[in-house]
Amino acid sequence: MNNDRRSSRPAPRRRFGRRKGCRFCGDKTLTIDYKEIRNLRYFVSERGKIVPRRISGNCASHQRQVTEAIKRARNIALLPFSASHSVD
Amino acid sequence: MRTYETIFIVHPDIVGDEYAAVVDKFKGVLTDQGVEILKVDEWGTRKLAYPIRKQGRGTYVLVAYQASPEVIAEFERRLRIEDSIMKFQTVYLEKGLEQVPAAEEKAEAEGEKAEETA
Repeated sequence: MNNDRRSSRPAPRRRFGRRKGCRFCGDKTLTIDYKEIRNLRYFVSERGKIVPRRISGNCASHQRQVTEAIKRARNIALLPFSASHSVD
Repeated sequence: MRTYETIFIVHPDIVGDEYAAVVDKFKGVLTDQGVEILKVDEWGTRKLAYPIRKQGRGTYVLVAYQASPEVIAEFERRLRIEDSIMKFQTVYLEKGLEQVPAAEEKAEAEGEKAEETA
């Protein structure tokens, strides 16, 4: 019984959909722009935090660009600084 | 000459003629200084990610232009004085203005749709 249960238990899943390699290096047509929040959403957690590189899989230079874009978007109220701001 | 783009948020209560007057005024501020405006993009009123001056919505206007740094200082000074401008941000475009109007409009329309459902 015990053995069965252990074997049927799924391996611990990664919390975010993680893919190997930098998606911006893989697809050169993708652009990083602070105005396109639909693309940046992927790199922001539900609480509004920037997703770290070890999870997003970005390379260093693209992570810097993403970070810059998110900060710009936050400044102009396109992205939240934190999830606690609730707008009615 | 450098390429810049300024995005500013107009107070949501400013609509119609008043709104057009505000946009024209700031276009005028730029053209008076001999600036070539490359693009004016009015995004319309959309939800803000966080309240600014107790407002949950704001009207976004994006202006791209070629100017020298002194012009930016004056333009931002004028934006700061104007009460109907809630927030603004100027970004230096290193690569110049890239023309991708079709993709932008599409993304925008989708964004608005998503907001309505949210």
